[in-house]
Amino acid sequence: MKWLGLGLVAVAAFLGAVVLGPAHVPLAGLAASDIVRTLRLPRALLAFLVGGSLALSGAGLQALVRNPLADPFLLGLSGGAGLGAVVAIALHLASPWALPLAAFVGALGATALVYRLGLVGGAELDPRVLILAGVAVGAFAAAVTTAIVSLSDAAELRNTFLWLWGGLSGASWDTVLLLGVYLPLPLAVLFAAARPLDLLALGEEPARHLGADVEPLKRRVFLAASLLTAACVAVSGVIGFVGLVVPHAMRTLWGHRHRPLLPAAFLGGGALLALSDTVARVAVAPRELPVGIVTALVGVPVFALLLRRWTAN
Amino acid sequence: MERRHSLRSHTIRLVALAAALACRPADRASRPPRDAGYTVRDDAGRTVALAQPARRIVSLSPAVTELLFALGVGDRVVGRTTWCDYPPPARLVPSVGDGLNPNLEAVAARRPDLVVLYRSPLNETAAAQLGRLGIPAAVLRQDRLEDVARAARLLGRLTGRAAAGDSLADSLTRLLETGVPAAHTGLAFVVWDNPPMVIGGGSYLDQLATLAGAANVFHDIGAASATVALETIATRDPDVIAVVSDSAEPRPPAFARRREWRVIRAVRERRFVYVVGSLFGRPGPRAGVAAAELRRLLGQVKR
Repeated sequence: MKWLGLGLVAVAAFLGAVVLGPAHVPLAGLAASDIVRTLRLPRALLAFLVGGSLALSGAGLQALVRNPLADPFLLGLSGGAGLGAVVAIALHLASPWALPLAAFVGALGATALVYRLGLVGGAELDPRVLILAGVAVGAFAAAVTTAIVSLSDAAELRNTFLWLWGGLSGASWDTVLLLGVYLPLPLAVLFAAARPLDLLALGEEPARHLGADVEPLKRRVFLAASLLTAACVAVSGVIGFVGLVVPHAMRTLWGHRHRPLLPAAFLGGGALLALSDTVARVAVAPRELPVGIVTALVGVPVFALLLRRWTAN
Repeated sequence: MERRHSLRSHTIRLVALAAALACRPADRASRPPRDAGYTVRDDAGRTVALAQPARRIVSLSPAVTELLFALGVGDRVVGRTTWCDYPPPARLVPSVGDGLNPNLEAVAARRPDLVVLYRSPLNETAAAQLGRLGIPAAVLRQDRLEDVARAARLLGRLTGRAAAGDSLADSLTRLLETGVPAAHTGLAFVVWDNPPMVIGGGSYLDQLATLAGAANVFHDIGAASATVALETIATRDPDVIAVVSDSAEPRPPAFARRREWRVIRAVRERRFVYVVGSLFGRPGPRAGVAAAELRRLLGQVKR
């Protein structure tokens, strides 16, 4: 029943994103419309893939660092991506793929640094050190970014931040195809980690006693979640909130077992972002809202409702 | 009663203090403090009173620099921003920074008797701080053609060139009032591609489009600029897309190569005009030149 409901919500969100938009396209002409085929369809798909990936990364990272405040950008990724994008602009790299690629490289760089710092105490990845390293690397990258912005005189830099605050206006079949090729591997790694993550929730020592390969598991989850998030940043900037709240919302419905939780988070995140992007495009047409604002405006009331129901039980 | 009295005496003391502060530059110049000729109310509602025409001016915006040169007092500009590149002699003036968040020490080091700033909250704070240093500062709005006309009038007063300022203002106002034939060319100014940002009705570029005999297809958006969806641009279907570029050699924008942008007819048909930021990006005395240039560029595209 829950699955049917979530499935219906996801399908409705996706269809809504295709049917609704600032331009009026009659229902009969939907399939023939260039606007629908070239703009709305890839954008709806991208919203779904990015929202699902962010929520899934969030669920995985929350389990990994055993901290409910963890989200995909906690571990320094947004700072690294921002630095990459700003460097690309400051160096006047003009190709349309320069910005996403630079953001991706920046996010990977931050991930590598955080990972290395997480290993400082020895060969084991310590979740507490990981969080601190993430915050430190993020703050450092943000400081360097601000320094570049304040010293450079390119007016374009202000617009770089607009891009970085997230949005799906860069959606095209190219970006969808790119994610379609890239996503399956990290997605599969995370889905496969569902059972061991349940054990990890008991604590590292008990998990080890129950036969989980704790160290490789932590590395796999961290790297897969980071790779997912880095790809999302590259195609849509930093879209907040989805990765933090959707996993919690799904936990109120499906409990703490990761086998159902992870796919539910993927569907829920995809639905939330597709719905939010539709609102962002339609609500103040002809203008457009930043989608991150809408994810919070739509997501928080839903989350509050679920939280109330959950605490009442 | 007692209390009200003390309050009043306190007020009197404050007024006296303010008057003393205001008189300080005047004392130095040994001139009568009130001279309506060099007193104006700026766009932040502050009174700017000079004892004599400004002789050492720091201009913290390119449009003001252009205006001062147009009024024939370019030789009195002793400080400018890094953006002030027109007219060419302006480049010989020492730069005091980018003008966005002024470095007050660098400004004060030029020993100005007038500082002119673009109106923004940050600059209003800076103007107040300059006031505390005893340096008169005027904050002027420079977003639309009307603002330029008003700025010309005010700067004319402050520099003792009231006649020149008024005549420049009148010519700019006439430009706005001249009837322009009904527009047939739909124009969209695309200033950024991801997210797509266009110029709205509350902007100087929108006014220039009208003066050039074209219609901004996003005229109904009241803001100066706005983020829109690609499908909105496609539906508004502009005949021509204007791209603001800083480089001298115009080339098609990077987004022209992207598949999703080709939903827009003007992108498919490569109907672009390239307008230079230093002429089109800032409202100034060259508005008429800019409008004529835009009209010429649009004429080339149609052929």
